[in-house]
Amino acid sequence: MKIAVCIKQVVTRDWPLRVDEREKWIHDRDASFEMNEPDAYALEEALRLKEKHGGEVIVCSAGPARVGQVIREALARGADRAILVESDELAVADAWTVATALAAAMRSEAFDLVLTGLQSDDQGFGQTGVVLAELLGLPHSTIIMEVAIEGTQFRVKRELESGWFQWVVMPRPALLTIQSGINQLRYATLKGIMAAKRKDVRKFTPDSGVVVSRHRILKLYVPEKTKQTQFVEGSPAEAAQKLVSLLRQEARVL
Amino acid sequence: MALLVTCLKWYRRSWRLWRIELERETFDVDVLVVGGGPAGLSAAFHLSTLQKERGGKPLTIAVLEKARDYGAHMLSGAVLDPSTLNDLIPDWAARGAPLDTLVEDERIYFLTRRRKIPFPITPPPLRNHGHYVISLNRFVKWLAEQVEAEGVDVFSGFAGTELLYENDRVVGVRTGDRGLDRSGAPKTTFQPGVDIRAQVTILADGVRGNLTKRLIHRFSLDEGRLPQVYAIGIKELWEVPPDRLAVGAVVHTVGYPLRFEEFGGGFIYALPEGRLAVGLVAGLDYRDPLFDPHVAFQCFKRHPFVSALLADGQMIRYGAKALPEGGWHAIPRCHVDGALIVGDAAGFLNSMRLKGIHLAMRSGLYAAEVAFDAVRSGDVTAAQLGRYASLIESGVIKTELYPVRNVHQSFAGGLVSGFLYSGFSLVTGGWWLSDPMPGDAGHERIKDLDRYYGARAQEVMAPTVTIDRTLTFDKLTNVHYSGTRHAEDQPSHLLVHDTDICRTRCLEEYRNPCTRFCPANVYEIIDADGGEGKRLQINASNCVHCKTCDIMDPYQIIDWVPPEGGGGPKYEGM
Amino acid sequence: MILVIAEQCAATLRPVTWETIAAAQQIGGPVKIAVVGVGVSAVAEELSMADVDEVIVVEHAALEPYTPDGFVQALSQVIAIEQPELVLLPHTYQVRDYAPTLATRLERVLVTDCIGSKRRDGNVVLVRPMFQGKFVADVALDGPAPHFVSFQSGSYRADVATRGTVPTGVRTADVMIDTVVIRQHPGTPFKEAKQAVDLTQADRIVSVGRGIKSRDHLPLVQELARVLDAELAASRPICDSGWLPMDRQIGSSGQTVAPKLYVAIGISGAIQHLVGMKGAHTVVAINKDSDAPIFEVADYGIVGDLFEVVPALLAALED
Repeated sequence: MKIAVCIKQVVTRDWPLRVDEREKWIHDRDASFEMNEPDAYALEEALRLKEKHGGEVIVCSAGPARVGQVIREALARGADRAILVESDELAVADAWTVATALAAAMRSEAFDLVLTGLQSDDQGFGQTGVVLAELLGLPHSTIIMEVAIEGTQFRVKRELESGWFQWVVMPRPALLTIQSGINQLRYATLKGIMAAKRKDVRKFTPDSGVVVSRHRILKLYVPEKTKQTQFVEGSPAEAAQKLVSLLRQEARVL
Repeated sequence: MALLVTCLKWYRRSWRLWRIELERETFDVDVLVVGGGPAGLSAAFHLSTLQKERGGKPLTIAVLEKARDYGAHMLSGAVLDPSTLNDLIPDWAARGAPLDTLVEDERIYFLTRRRKIPFPITPPPLRNHGHYVISLNRFVKWLAEQVEAEGVDVFSGFAGTELLYENDRVVGVRTGDRGLDRSGAPKTTFQPGVDIRAQVTILADGVRGNLTKRLIHRFSLDEGRLPQVYAIGIKELWEVPPDRLAVGAVVHTVGYPLRFEEFGGGFIYALPEGRLAVGLVAGLDYRDPLFDPHVAFQCFKRHPFVSALLADGQMIRYGAKALPEGGWHAIPRCHVDGALIVGDAAGFLNSMRLKGIHLAMRSGLYAAEVAFDAVRSGDVTAAQLGRYASLIESGVIKTELYPVRNVHQSFAGGLVSGFLYSGFSLVTGGWWLSDPMPGDAGHERIKDLDRYYGARAQEVMAPTVTIDRTLTFDKLTNVHYSGTRHAEDQPSHLLVHDTDICRTRCLEEYRNPCTRFCPANVYEIIDADGGEGKRLQINASNCVHCKTCDIMDPYQIIDWVPPEGGGGPKYEGM
Repeated sequence: MILVIAEQCAATLRPVTWETIAAAQQIGGPVKIAVVGVGVSAVAEELSMADVDEVIVVEHAALEPYTPDGFVQALSQVIAIEQPELVLLPHTYQVRDYAPTLATRLERVLVTDCIGSKRRDGNVVLVRPMFQGKFVADVALDGPAPHFVSFQSGSYRADVATRGTVPTGVRTADVMIDTVVIRQHPGTPFKEAKQAVDLTQADRIVSVGRGIKSRDHLPLVQELARVLDAELAASRPICDSGWLPMDRQIGSSGQTVAPKLYVAIGISGAIQHLVGMKGAHTVVAINKDSDAPIFEVADYGIVGDLFEVVPALLAALED
């Protein structure tokens, strides 16, 4: 089984962030980076499927050279080799642009299964996997909790809203976007870290025509609070009454 | 039935422990360096240099670093004397070392509450001509990359938690278990620590290093030495409008907010791109049990001179770390069978020049020489490794540290006596009537409330300062900017051996100084559940790994051990 | 022309559709609605009450049950004929499943999870959250129409969608579906209790902090959560003390949530907590200390003793 996992490097969750001078991105020069957490769950799922069914796990990523950090982490946890599409612009590009770049590098390999995380902690489009499936001509399903392999088919458990679930059967090969928290992330071992250095990382550069975003950020800013804090005065009983009616009529959350 | 259950539990526990031993990885190297700071990385780099120069069977070298990323736990002012770097990596500039800000302008001020009085001249030892204002974090990151490029394995995210012995010889280090929950039980991701066996183990675990502390204790390496004394450095990185302070300006202050009886001072270094490194160093041998170094630092920032520099700026990073200040006579014996101690763990810091990085690196260089020969000759006994001590005796470390050997101890008598002695020592090469000048451990100098405050002991309040979250910050907000993160579900890494003392004796005698000297709000005294009395709350995941609590707790019941590997601050740019 | 894709489930219109209609009407210009499925005429009738130009029924046996392949096939045809400038969808699980494919099939892009729109030099600019709600971005659309946009649930008010004076026309579109090309074979949906608490899905959260003083007082807050039909959450000290399990923790070392209503009780608002809930739509804070940082992010605040205010709230809610 040849399993591809697409992972993204993002600024560490809850890093104190500031908008940069150009007001189009965050100041990330002195930021700490890590593997996008939803993608880590996809990687873990891939490693478990490999342990169960054999095969190899190839980790794919796109972005500047520093993305090597998350690739090494993935290789240290047990991925067999990696594909990196290196380009600074891909770090801030939209989902379609990134998926196109990845597809160009991944197309030549006949993957049985491609896994991605649900969405990234930075831009949060939640689309790269689904767009990639279409570009690679693969059937897909999203928000997957469980993956079972039955011969030439996948049987996957898809999460629906409000506590509903559904099993979906699809032919191989396919692409799945994996729900976070479905498994426990393993640590990289010492031997894994040493082995990672010897694993193959194939680098691609995107075609110059490709890195053209179809939508662009005009401005990035801190959301202004639409209202000032309204202090509700009076005795506890009065304040409570006023608050409830405000929540009902003004904020309309009750 | 109860007996059956107990037997089953015992059986399960034994089985589990046996399985852990079965699963424990082991791994052999020739030289293991514990700690990826300047000293450890210099040792590793020099070992590979020696390997290239002298040829022969390649040495296997590994470096352990508890932080997730190289340099993440590195914090210092810092002004670097490049002398050791010139010897270690002569082509550092071509290799892109982040040394791009030469010291241009130096000033020293004596601060009163509102004013600043400049020192007419900069005393020679404090002159920084030819030195660089750097970010230690960036420097160590670069150094680690150089080490890796030599083919040395640097394992980040792995903490050394136990020394391995065979009889009395150090044969390696065990790394910490990972994947234990709060109660210490293994989770599904459990991974037992790895036993890394080495011919020579170089301990570079930093100021008050947890492994070095145990080694010193086991072999009484500090016998006949002065107790090590420390200071805490609290630092913030600020972004201010561009022409506040010329790039390369180095400002040191003494006086306010510290009192004459307190050792320490402030610093402000100007980096490129409108960045200022601002900090306060306070000796961890203060008398006043209510002293709060973090509050003192906020007061320092509120001084008109400092607040003018920081106006309209933004604090972007915060951190704190202890420094070893004891000087020459506090350095323990640094060699035993199978192991050497380098860097801040041993205490090679020049407290007069306020410099430790180049000496830490030098000790790493010496250790590399000695370790290389020892492994090649097959003799790793203390006798063979003792050559390390002779290198220190006969080399630049002693040349630099010996003349200032009594400086920190001279401040025990206060700022004035410290300055007088320091000035005097410049002429006499450090001589004094009693040599070494006697010194006490910092935690023994702290006075209890009654003795310090007398009749006012009960009503006197601990110092506070206005927190505006623009110039001054509370500890919790500051901790957020240190990037500190730990896996939440793990055992607490701050071992307090008797928490009853906290709520009884310590509360009465010192009013729980841990709640003040910890710069990260790890310790709190809160009402006990059920409303009876108080209890100690340990917010272990706030810890910035500064080691102040291990050093300063008056009863010495706090043991800092490394948390699960990868956890801790992220001192990007510091 | 703006085409709104309505969402229905088991022949019932999902209310979030009205929010998308409101979004379309705010942008302005002619609006049409498409509803996809089987047996959806009642849904179409309901939609015809909206002040829009037309409702298009896209019906085909192969469109039930929902599959991304089926929906993409059907909607590609409708969009090719209708040629809208913008296609708006609600950001639901189903839309996340098929809309990116639909856009890509038509060689266009989808901008997801938007919370608003505005005009810049006459062009439509979308507003969407970034970095888990810490920032917001104004996004401009480049390239040829149509552009696809999905709106976050709750970003528009459903009742703001204007109704027409008379029902608008409903027409059925002819679509051809090649069932061979439908690669997904879904089973019947079933319900299952979720293993762990997922606060990120909760619409309302009542969160408790140190001000509660003792675990014995938790039932008071639990009752408020029950009455509000909210999930219970807590700041770090509560979970650290073991009064509530760690999966209820909100903040930098816990969960990041953005519910419609967040009620913070006895929480001071340390920055570690704020980063976990700042994105909430409406924040109510109850705290004794008027200087507590929580009030900086609260929409409504009561400075008072929670042991008096919370019971008063419970009484007021009963009315």
